[in-house]
Amino acid sequence: MIQMNGTKLIVSHAPFWHDGDSLFKMNLNYVLALLPAAIFGVTQFGGLALGVIALSVSTAMLWEAVINLASRRKNPIGDLDAAVIGLLFALMVPATMPWWVVVVGTFIAVVIGKFIFGGIGATPFHPTLLAMAVLMMSWPVYFDFDAAYVAYEFNHTALAPLAALKFQGISATGLFSLGDLFMGQEVGGIGSTFGIGIIFGGIYLMLRGYTRWEIVVSFLAGILITGGLFYLGNSQAYASPLFHLFSGYTLLGAFFLATASSSSPVNLIPMFIYGFLGGFMIILMRNIGAYADGTVLAVLLINLVNPLVDNIRPKAIGKGVPHA
Amino acid sequence: MIKRSFFALSKPTLTYDLLNPDLADPEAIPIPGTLTLLLPEAIDSTKKALFAKGDSLKKGEKLKLYEDSTVYVLSPVAGTINALDSYSDDFGNTATYILVKPDPARTAPEDTAKITPKENIDFARDYLDHLPGALPFARLAAAGKSISTIVITGADADIISSTWQYTCTAYAREVEAGAQILKRMIRVPRICITIPEALTTQVNFGTLQVLKVSDIYPSALPAMIMKDHMDMVLPPGKTPEDMGVCFIRPEALVSLARVFKTQEPVFEKVITLVDKTGTQRRIKATMGTPLSKIFNRMSVHINEMDRIIIGGPMRGFATFTHHHPVTPEMDMVIVQDKEAIAELSDTPCVNCGKCIRICPVQIPVNLLVRYLEADQYEEAADQLDLESCIECGLCAYVCTARIPLYQYIRLGKHELLALRAEA
Repeated sequence: MIQMNGTKLIVSHAPFWHDGDSLFKMNLNYVLALLPAAIFGVTQFGGLALGVIALSVSTAMLWEAVINLASRRKNPIGDLDAAVIGLLFALMVPATMPWWVVVVGTFIAVVIGKFIFGGIGATPFHPTLLAMAVLMMSWPVYFDFDAAYVAYEFNHTALAPLAALKFQGISATGLFSLGDLFMGQEVGGIGSTFGIGIIFGGIYLMLRGYTRWEIVVSFLAGILITGGLFYLGNSQAYASPLFHLFSGYTLLGAFFLATASSSSPVNLIPMFIYGFLGGFMIILMRNIGAYADGTVLAVLLINLVNPLVDNIRPKAIGKGVPHA
Repeated sequence: MIKRSFFALSKPTLTYDLLNPDLADPEAIPIPGTLTLLLPEAIDSTKKALFAKGDSLKKGEKLKLYEDSTVYVLSPVAGTINALDSYSDDFGNTATYILVKPDPARTAPEDTAKITPKENIDFARDYLDHLPGALPFARLAAAGKSISTIVITGADADIISSTWQYTCTAYAREVEAGAQILKRMIRVPRICITIPEALTTQVNFGTLQVLKVSDIYPSALPAMIMKDHMDMVLPPGKTPEDMGVCFIRPEALVSLARVFKTQEPVFEKVITLVDKTGTQRRIKATMGTPLSKIFNRMSVHINEMDRIIIGGPMRGFATFTHHHPVTPEMDMVIVQDKEAIAELSDTPCVNCGKCIRICPVQIPVNLLVRYLEADQYEEAADQLDLESCIECGLCAYVCTARIPLYQYIRLGKHELLALRAEA
């Protein structure tokens, strides 16, 4: 007889090879890519910044553990997705953010932005941006970067560039040299100021294949082209596109927020439309709208249109071919 | 196992392995004490079986379960039936194991069932459907005159495999002779043979038209060969036979040529054995030999929780028992150590888009899997190109969330057929 009770074998299905990638590796790379910006933030804004980062990452993971425990689901904090959400949140807020705002922020991000929508992969909006939007509407005072850093002494202009542009007019752009903005000599979120660090981190993620370069490139193109058209039209009223590129959340948005997997398209043409629309909306909001930055809302807006544009996709080969 | 490269801006490419130019003869595995024949028909206790335990068999004797059965196996040895057992595969299709105890003493001419090969399809369907290499005579007979092209697959369909390259190179003359017999048998106007374009061992295939196949997976899969070389696109849900093309292994033609030459059925199957270190060895075993005997002979040790893969790493299947027999369509056996087995997960799709980049037929896999997880098979077929899948397995190979995508798709197609059969 055939002995069925012999050595037990693993019976699974093809393919039997895997390229070895995993969600943990993907999110770990996100964390790595964000580290330059985060470390620079700590050197720039001191221990308070470190405190905010630590609190944000830990409470984001804690909320994830608590809500999954409460709903009796498998605890997914090991995939580091909540850690990335928390880290991104910390990098967008000022270093002087009160602890309770951080805790509320990560709650909104992880529990409302991620869990209620269905968990990893099912988030129509970037959870961090959702939390940012809610908090910016609810407690705008804590997102006033000029007020946040009054106790600090800086060697550079201690004004948030975009707020200065909005409220003081085009002349304010003269206070900031592009080199300073690029090297993080500006006031802003903990990790959103260090242009070169964000760019390097972002390029690293693109090269590793964890973010889709098409989105980043078209997003930047959207900023530069739209900003350039405004600037060419009236350089007395509108800031140069490079000023927009290196100030505020623009780079963080282009490299890390707009590219978040589950809220962005995967097909080629939709990726270009989505990215360009993001950059386009940011410039519109800054130049015409009421908001100083607009990145948060612009990315949430393109998150909203993502399912729609992602329907522009190629036909499967063989589909629609008359039977030969 | 090929891992993700550090830089992954573009999609990863898997390449086919080329045949080692040293065409050493396969190592022959002696006939073991028990052979297991796999008959693809379930035992039905309400019907009277045509054979039973204890029956004496001639070499080459045809074994059919019931009078009205259409499938059969041929006994590779003279001996006696030891036992019958039932078997079911991963989709729940049931079959019958026939255990035959060979009697090495019975070598007299009357212990071999003689056949007189005739070059017509009815004879082939009745006596040659079980040849090593699995010539699909039943399918050819069913397709009738509509088959206009035969493609001999000299380029292996799955990665790391070189069995097909080996048989068509080492036995080129027999492949050609077999092709001529087949041509006369089914009167097919066109016979081609696929060969990896980088294959250095040059072989002359006489009148056969040679199609050079790229070394990038999945270009040697039937649908891709039709698309790239025959300017035919396989419509969703159609088989190559529906389009008049039949793909056959070179070994099937070798077997066919040998049957006509020796006037006896043949039972030796060439297999590539890949052990845990990745070393490939070519062996020759009688059909029905349990894999465990091959592992013993080749000193491959199977531990608890290892995996035995029949076929290639991308498209094969894992067996639950190391007593699984050598069958006509078995080309490669891979033993995978439990440490090398990639873990799968039930995490939902995170929309990373790697499957979209790598899919050779542009299926929206990220959306498709959401429908398949929700058992929405009809919608998956109508809107999301379920049936266009050529089953290469690349999406599951790259999946970041480690979703068993290929299995979802195969299951989806299976369920879809079941749904349509009910309707």
